[in-house]
Amino acid sequence: MHSTHTCDEAFERVEKIAKDLKSGAILGSTEAAFVVFREIREASTACGKLFSKYLLQALPSFIEARPTSIIMKNLIRNYLEELIKEASEHGFDEARGRTPEIIDSILGDVTKVQEAVARVGAKRVTDDGTILIHSYSSTVLKLLEIAKESGKRFKVFVTESRPIGEGKVAASRLGALGIDTTLIVDSAVRYIMKKISDVFFSADAVAANGAVVNKIGTSAIALAAKEARVRTYVAAGTYKFGLETVFGELVEGMVLSDARLIIPPEKVNELAGRVLVRAPLFDVTPPEYVDAIITEIGVIAPQAIPLVIKEIYGWPPKVVSLDSLLEEVRKHAS
Amino acid sequence: MPVKYKEREIPDSVVKIREDIRTMVIRGAGKIARAGAKALAQAAQAYSGFSLDDFLNYMEAVAEYVRSARPTAVSLPNAVSYVMIRLKRLHPSSLEEARTAVIKAAEEFIEYSINSVKIIGELGARRISNGDVIMTHCHSTVAVSVIATAHKQGKVHKVYVKETRPKMQGLITAKALSDEGLDVILIPDSSVRYFMKRVNKVVVGADTIAANGAVINKIGTSLVALAAKEARVRTYVAAETYKFSPLTVIGELVPIEVREPTEIVDEAWLKENPNVKVYNPVFDVTPPEYVDAIITEKGVIPPQAAILILMEEYGLNVSDILTQFNEVKEEELGE
Repeated sequence: MHSTHTCDEAFERVEKIAKDLKSGAILGSTEAAFVVFREIREASTACGKLFSKYLLQALPSFIEARPTSIIMKNLIRNYLEELIKEASEHGFDEARGRTPEIIDSILGDVTKVQEAVARVGAKRVTDDGTILIHSYSSTVLKLLEIAKESGKRFKVFVTESRPIGEGKVAASRLGALGIDTTLIVDSAVRYIMKKISDVFFSADAVAANGAVVNKIGTSAIALAAKEARVRTYVAAGTYKFGLETVFGELVEGMVLSDARLIIPPEKVNELAGRVLVRAPLFDVTPPEYVDAIITEIGVIAPQAIPLVIKEIYGWPPKVVSLDSLLEEVRKHAS
Repeated sequence: MPVKYKEREIPDSVVKIREDIRTMVIRGAGKIARAGAKALAQAAQAYSGFSLDDFLNYMEAVAEYVRSARPTAVSLPNAVSYVMIRLKRLHPSSLEEARTAVIKAAEEFIEYSINSVKIIGELGARRISNGDVIMTHCHSTVAVSVIATAHKQGKVHKVYVKETRPKMQGLITAKALSDEGLDVILIPDSSVRYFMKRVNKVVVGADTIAANGAVINKIGTSLVALAAKEARVRTYVAAETYKFSPLTVIGELVPIEVREPTEIVDEAWLKENPNVKVYNPVFDVTPPEYVDAIITEKGVIPPQAAILILMEEYGLNVSDILTQFNEVKEEELGE
């Protein structure tokens, strides 16, 4: 891991991080949040007076680059709320100085939540079962690791998860943990579904109606699981719940159109310009295809999401828009 | 060293065709079938003996040798049988008569097969409506024929072509359709359900059609059909009748080939990940209830009527089927 020494470098890196978020080079949504907070933390020490400018510039580009990462949005909201509270009590510079502390506490909570989700979820792994997972999710990997530690024996099938191919990374990690792991192409999911006992996904976002936004291919797998009467679980901490969706906002997906995502280099000349490439990175799985959402507060039906939101945030949930929080930052800093 | 099979010397040209089929240099059920017929004609041509009985015996050996190139490609044994049945029914009285019969039957089959592509294109195009958005999977000459024919009639708005991992046959289809002037959008296999909402018809080919109408085709086809069913999108399978499998009538399951891991990941990745297995089944089975119709050169039929085609082509007499098709035993089973 490299570290930023100057504020200029921090500013320069905003674009690069945004690009990696957009292209899927930064894999999971939780990982996305961690990377972004690492950047903010470093900017807070390197930038001094320019820190507010950094926030105003960097945060909107990060969010725009990965609009599906609700965890990133929710955690940035938490951070800004803390920052503004601190700033109104002790001044902005003091608040800036406390940024690493605030971030550590937020990320510490996330790690605890992820651990709790994984612990609950591990109980749902069928002993002697065969699990199917898709894409790369730190939560799901943790869940399987805990299940193995608890003495359960199981096999795991992992899809390669095109177009990014992050399933290969997930398969590597599972293999290294000593879990019986088999890699398959995305197209093979229905063929192998008969052998599967449980499907585990994570989520980039869970909407208020229980719809799950996750890596492209998830909804087709959930459909094939439903057809085969295989249970489908989504492991997602409550910070992945899209609070704005309560008010009718849709979670925005990203569609890439880089021909090189699909067409191998030697064929690009032959096909590029004649054939369009469309590669959405996320899809939406309807709640009726999900048997349960595994959160840190327990296993719930996807349709019960509003209840959980109510318990944590009140009803209707008090959601301060990120724009108005950034406006506050602007005011405090000037 | 000449190649021998069952003590018979096999001509080089036949060895080459079999090898090209086996290593997938020749691919696509139609091409494989025509290559199989051509191999028999060349074998007949190359026969240098003088006895009719010896020739018949030799042709049996060649037929078996050619058939064994790819156990899952039903079009291959069907093409071979097409020729061999005609030879047997003729009860030839001289070597030359037998030789001519083989060559003629092979040519007839090749012509029939090529015409079928055109007829299927025309019949299938009737099922496409104006402004249709089509999705297809893998590469199938007959499916391309259906889409291209419909396009010539001005009906097709655009085509979503799935990349079709691991061998990326979608690229071949994308090029073929784009050559025909169609608007082609290449998509990852994982996005099949995402795009299905925008699609009106799915058109795919088939490797094999079983007696119950189940369609054996490139891995991923059954998922496309399932996603289509969910979205109430019609699914058509374009297939010549020589892709119908007579052996399934007598209870055989269609074997599903499992190929090399290196089609999915490279050697280096396998070395770095000794604990990870890679499973690469090449085909899957689409149940007949997910298929709206099978478009054959003999007409558009519901998949459940596949048995009719098999009755007409091969007779339903089990002992006939058993004698016409030397059983190719396989351990791996389909759905």
